[in-house]
Parts: sequence; structure tokens; C-alpha cells
Amino acid sequence: MCRHLSPVGNVTYRESDTPRGRALMLDKVSQQPQLLENPDFQSAIYDAELSAACRTHCVSHFDEAGLLLAARRDIVESGKIPAVVKQVADSIKALKLALKGDAKAEVIYYVDRYTERYQPEMAAATEKILKAAGVSFQIISGADTGKALAVLGCWNEAKETAEKFAKSIRGVGKKVLITSCPASYDLLKNDFPKYGIDLANELEVLHTSEFIRRLVKAGKLSLRPSTAQSVFPLASDFLGNYNTGFTAHEELAALAGVTLQPFGFNREESYTAGEGGVVMDELNPRLVAKLVEHVLEQVDNPSQDMLLVLSPYTKYVLSKFATKKLHLTTVEELIAARIKE
Amino acid sequence: MSNNLTTIMESSRHAGRSYVDAMIRSELTDAVGADYVSSNAADQLGHSIDYYWIPEMWHDRGRDNPKAQYIVHPGSAEEVAKVLRIANNYRIPVTPWGGGSGSQGGALPMYGGIILDTKRMNKVIHIDTEALTMTVETGMNAQHMEWAVEKKGFSTMHFPASIACATIGGFLAHRGTGVLSTKYGKIEDMVMSIEVVTPEGEIINTLPVPRHASGPDLTQLYLGSEGTLGVITKVTLKIHPIPQCRKFHAFLFKDMHQAMTAGANIMRSRLRPCVIRLYDEPETARLIKRVLGIDKQGAYLVFGFDGFESVVDLEMTEAIRICMRENPEDLGEELGQAWWDNRYKFFYPPYMFHMPQAFGTLDTVATFANIEKVYWAMKNVVNQNFPEAAFIGHYSHWYEWGCMLYARFIVDQPPKDPEEATAYYNRIWDMAIRAAIANGGVINEHHGVGLKLGRLMKDLYGPAFKVLADIKKVMDPNNIMNPGKMGFRGV
Ligand SMILES: Cc1cc2nc3c(=O)[nH]c(=O)nc-3n(C[C@H](O)[C@H](O)[C@H](O)COP(=O)(O)OP(=O)(O)OC[C@H]3O[C@@H](n4cnc5c(N)ncnc54)[C@H](O)[C@@H]3O)c2cc1C
Repeated sequence: MCRHLSPVGNVTYRESDTPRGRALMLDKVSQQPQLLENPDFQSAIYDAELSAACRTHCVSHFDEAGLLLAARRDIVESGKIPAVVKQVADSIKALKLALKGDAKAEVIYYVDRYTERYQPEMAAATEKILKAAGVSFQIISGADTGKALAVLGCWNEAKETAEKFAKSIRGVGKKVLITSCPASYDLLKNDFPKYGIDLANELEVLHTSEFIRRLVKAGKLSLRPSTAQSVFPLASDFLGNYNTGFTAHEELAALAGVTLQPFGFNREESYTAGEGGVVMDELNPRLVAKLVEHVLEQVDNPSQDMLLVLSPYTKYVLSKFATKKLHLTTVEELIAARIKE
Repeated sequence: MSNNLTTIMESSRHAGRSYVDAMIRSELTDAVGADYVSSNAADQLGHSIDYYWIPEMWHDRGRDNPKAQYIVHPGSAEEVAKVLRIANNYRIPVTPWGGGSGSQGGALPMYGGIILDTKRMNKVIHIDTEALTMTVETGMNAQHMEWAVEKKGFSTMHFPASIACATIGGFLAHRGTGVLSTKYGKIEDMVMSIEVVTPEGEIINTLPVPRHASGPDLTQLYLGSEGTLGVITKVTLKIHPIPQCRKFHAFLFKDMHQAMTAGANIMRSRLRPCVIRLYDEPETARLIKRVLGIDKQGAYLVFGFDGFESVVDLEMTEAIRICMRENPEDLGEELGQAWWDNRYKFFYPPYMFHMPQAFGTLDTVATFANIEKVYWAMKNVVNQNFPEAAFIGHYSHWYEWGCMLYARFIVDQPPKDPEEATAYYNRIWDMAIRAAIANGGVINEHHGVGLKLGRLMKDLYGPAFKVLADIKKVMDPNNIMNPGKMGFRGV
């Protein structure tokens, strides 16, 4: 089974961090469920990057991420949640949502935790774009949508959190909800129905890049001509493997006259440093540092190359853990910098 | 390895760790670093099963497989040398492990001890664009290696179906091959030179070029030695320009014999196809139908040429002319290209066989005069003695003098009891392989020997096996390197 698809395996070199090692482990667990309590098995299950690359690139479309998520849920439901996972889950549960701005606005902009805490420049760029296009918006922020809890295996708490999130935006009329966070986008688009939450008649969920593309195409935003900059995109797990066919960022880059160059030599590996794990930096920062180093090794020219990062999580961990300074940008920042004033 | 130490280590594994374990672990940690020594249960499980059917079946039936006490990930030849010196000192068996994709049980730690996982040695060291060679560490994943060199505008032309899971070291250790071998060769044809850490921890290099008259060829001695003579840590391989084009053409012949005549004639004409693949009638009916949707009776044959387009077109014309002499149905370029596009699918679910089925790849090679005899001898022995088994085959890798047969047996309901299933499985292998040997075949062409076929090495080599066994004895006096594999002495 494909070893080239396993970023964690590619930095730890451990068999239990490869798709085959994980499959063997889960198969053994299905024979002997008590093994879910084994700390070695638990740590391998929680160290997984969950990039879901196997869904897209495996010739047999082995759903490794789906199986690992199910195993995490089994661990939590058996009451054997590892201490670090419980600690992270508790801190997420304690967060409170806040909705600000004019209730009549056309758009709700969800600012996820990573953007809010570590990447205010992404939120600033998004707000600048919305204002320039004359779009009225409300901001919802302060808490998780439920995705982080779901990925930690805390299904019931994830459902409750998602319901709270839905309640806070329900009944505000038909709106577009945008977010820069690919994990939240995935939850709002794909997981809500699994929790029995139906907002389809009220909300259109878009990633910020999809919404900005719409604004540019509608002529609501005009962009300065290209400076012919070469940019290397780091594909997103949630906007790629979990939601295949997502190309808004590529189209936007083209509209902005930016040439995208392929990043890294492994065309199928995830270079998000654990975006699929949503809060991987909180669970195992040492491992994330190794994943970041692995990404860094692929940058031909760290002092010059501009990396286009598609998630606030990835931007944060690359800024925090890289041992060399990297030039990082996001779709929001790239476009905001090109708005004709 | 001393029996006492085995016992101490075994008991320490089962009844809590002893100071012996702690002592050895601290030495290994000193050699490779704390992050790279593990006795983690999840890793031990992962390293207890490769793609050999027996341990997979054993696992499937809820049994445990033998596990390594220590899994080490050295980052360089120097660290490998340190590990081997420790192992020699304490007489601990060492089993090299690359991607664990071997089908012969070669990487299984059957006596416990140390698994020496090579994956951390994964760097491209140099690409020489003048000689067209690349030097890499052998723990590198073969797909990574290919993409790294493609980024520079070249290709290794090594495209095995396990490209995404195996390491380049694994292919060297097993004399592996890729789909384009007919033109570009097996791995042993691609190698310029290698670096090896000997069982006693010496780092040596073989000669820098593969053609010389400076004594016997050391490189070739190590290729195919499956970790029994040392650890291959670096390799310099030939690389190739990316061809201007690669074209395919497919035919359906009335039967396998006619298709074989056409394939052999292409090779005898000294045209240089990059690939020829010929499926017998049962495999055409079973797999070609499912993967390519060709629902017809007969034997499917596809070939391809690559290089400058003008040359390729010329070669294609001649090869088509040769095939047409046997009166096949011309399936055209499209159904040839479709085969290439789907070439890896044949080896993975849902097209590949899976538990609880028993299956095995009886791959062998012989001259054109013998290869069909080998096919029928194997098929007859399987059909007559195991009527419940299906037997299918294709011919994958072609030479000027003969070709390789990739035959498979599949049993849907092997015995449930793992001991019985093991005995049953081995009986099929013994009979089929002995039938191949009796008709001019060998026990394997590119998957190697490992644990699976070790017992048949004496049947194949006769008295010459002693030469191999003596080489092993001299080079590995303490018998630490992968004991019990390839027919060599166990612990
Ligand atoms: C789906 C599938 C398709 C396959 N297709 C092909 C194919 O097209 N062509 C082909 O040739 N094979 C194929 N194989 C078989 C397998 O991939 C090869 O045998 C491969 O060479 C094994 O490499 P590995 O790195 O996985 O080695 P492992 O399985 O880890 O080890 C194999 C043997 O090599 C030894 N070894 C590993 N690395 C070293 C080293 N650096 N130095 C010394 N000894 C070492 C081990 O001890 C062991 O004996 C296939 C297997 C699968 C599962």
C-alpha cells in the first residue's frame, strides 16, 4: 500500500504511520477491540495526519481517514480517551461563539480559531475584500464549528457544538456563509447533514476563495494587473481530498494573473503539515514540527519562493515551526493586495 | 545467536523488560538516536507481516506472528554499521526491512531480534547529467525516487506495480523489475555500483562501473542477496531521458501459443519494445475483461515502444507486421493504451485476490524453447492435484532468449485452520515450482526467494547451493543477517 501518501510515515519512518501499518492495526483491533486501549495503538491512531490522500490517489480508493476517524470515535466512546486528547477537547468545548454586526448583512463570515488567534491578517484581508466589493457582512467567531471535536473522536460533543453553531445563525434570512477554514467548510458542507442539521434552505456555504471568485467575475472587484509573480500552492486536504474538484483558488490566481507552479516532488502527498488533523499542533507539536521540516525540504528557494497556503492552520504551523523564514500568503491576502483602490 | 540470549530476550518481552533488554536498547539508542529505536506494539505488528500470504493468513485467522524486539531506523551507512556491530556482539538476528512489500516473507523477523528499517535513508545524493546516473540512499521509496529524477527531466524507467510502497533497496535485494524491463532491464541491469554495510559492520563500495575485467562482479553478488549478506545503503543507477513518445498496440490471438509465437518473433527480430505483455486465455477472460472491458475469448497481447516518434512509428509498423502473421484480431492502439493507463490496477483490490482466498504468484523464467513447457507443467500439476484451484498467467518481462511467466493460483476456500492452510499452501508451491525446475524454469524471476521458497533452493541449484552457503558463512560468520531466509541456515 502506498507509502508515498503518508506524510507522518515519511517523517517518522514508522510502519504504524503508513497506510498499511494503520490498516493492519485497525484490522487487529477489529479482532481484539481491547487493543484500542493500548497506548501504542492509540498514539498511532491520534498521530495520523488524516489527509485523506488515499481517497484520491490510492488505486483502490482505500478510505484510511474514514477508518481512523471511526477508530478515534470508538476510543472516545469506550471511555479510554487519551489524556492529551481530552485536554484539547475540553479546551475547545469551553469556547463561546459570538455573532457581531448588522443582522441584515448579506454575508456571514465565520472566523475560525486559527485565523482569529494567529492569522489576523487573513481576516483583515477578507474584510478589506468584502468592503471593497461593497458586501455587507456579519462576523461569527470565538469557537469551533464542531469539526475539531469530530476529528478528535468526540462525536456527541461535535454534534452539540455544531447544533449550537447552527442555532446562532439560524433564522437570519437567506445568506451566504463564508469561511477561510477548509476544515470548517467541510463540516458545514458535508457533516451538518450527518448531524441532522439542515441549513440548506437558509445558507449557501462557500469557501472565501469561491466567494471572492464570484465577486471578481461579477465585476464587483477589480484587480491590479499581474506582477508576474510565481507562486507555489500547497494543496489543502479538505479542499482537495475531502472535497474533490475544488479549483476556486486556482481560478482566482489566474484571474489575478498569478502563475501557480507545482510544489514539491511528490505530486500526491499532503504538504499541509496536518490540516486534516485540524488541531494536530495541539495534540503533538513535535510531530507537526517534523511535518513542517518535511515541507521546508521541498522548498527549492526559501528566500524567494512564495507559498500559497490554503488553510489558516497550515499557515500558522508553517510560521511557527519552520526553521527558516518562509514567504507565505493566502488567497485572501493575495487578492487583497491586488485590489484597485 | 546463542539460545540463552534468545530465551532471555523472549522472556523479557513477555514478562516485563529485563536489564538485558535495557542494555541493548541503550546501545541501539546511542547508535541511531532515541526517536529511531522502537519496541512499540503498533510498530511490531506492522513489521510482522509483509505481502507473503502465510503471515497475512495467520493474522487473518487471529494468530500472532513473530515480532522483532527492536525496530531501528538508521539514518546513514555509519549508523547501519553501528547497529550491525552491536548485533554481532550480542549475536542478535537482524532483518532489513524496506517497504515491507515483498511477497516472499524476506523481511519477516522470524527469530525476533532487530528489524533494521531503511526508510530513513531516503535522500537523493547526486544526479549526474553527463553520465546519466543518479545516486540515492536505498531506503528511498521508488515512487519518490522517480519523481525526484523526473523533476530534473529524466526517468529511472523502473516502474514496478509496487512503486508506491517499495524501496529501491528492496528491489536491489530481490532483483526486482518494472513494467518497462524489456527495454530498460531489470534492476540488476540498471545498477552502476552500490555501497554495502557488511554483516560485521564494514562499509564497502563496489566498482564504479558495471562493465570491467577486474575480477568477479561484487555488485551482482549482493543483488538478490535479500539482506543475508549485508545491508545495501547506497546505489548509483542509470537514468534516461524522458522519451518523446510511448505508443502501444494490442491484439487478441486465438490462443496463448500463437500469441507466444508473435511475442517471441518480435524479440528474435531484435526490435526493442519497452514492454510486451501476454495474457493466457483464463487471465484474459478473468482480468482483461474486468479491467479493460474486453469480453472476448483468446489471448490478449500488448506491446509498446518508446523513444523518438519517427523511430517508434517504424518499430510499431514492424512489430504489427510480425504479429499479423499469426492472424490475430487487431485491437488497435486504444486498447493498448488503456492497458498502460490501468497497468497498476491489476495488482490491487478489487482486482487482486484477498483473504480468505489463498493465492500465490508462481513467477519463473525460461528460454522460448521451454517457457510454454514450464507453463503447462505448472498448470497441469496444480489442476491435477488441486482441482479447486484456478490457475492463470501472463508473460511480463521479455528477453532476446525467452520470457518471464507470472502465473498465479487462486483457491477460494483454503483450509480454515492456519496450520493446515500452511501445509496446503506449501504443497501447491512445492509441486508447482518443482515442475518448473524440471522443465527448465527457475524458482523465481523477480520476487526473490525469502522464507517462502528457501527450502527449494537446493532443488534448483543442486550441489552449487553449497557455494552460496559457503559465501554466506564466510561473509556472516555469526549468522546475524536475515537467518533462515533463502535456504540459508536459521538460528
Ligand atoms: C501490489 C504489489 C505489486 C508488486 N509488483 C512488483 C513488481 O512489479 N516488480 C517487482 O519486482 N516486485 C513487485 N512486488 C514485490 C515487491 O514490491 C518487491 O519485492 C520489492 O523489491 C520489495 O521492496 P521493499 O522495499 O518493500 O522490500 P521489503 O519487503 O521490505 O524487503 C524485501 C527483502 O529485501 C531485504 N532488504 C530490503 N532492503 C534492503 C537493503 N537496503 N539491503 C539489503 N536487504 C534489503 C529484506 O530483508 C527482505 O529480504 C510487488 C508487491 C506488491 C505487494
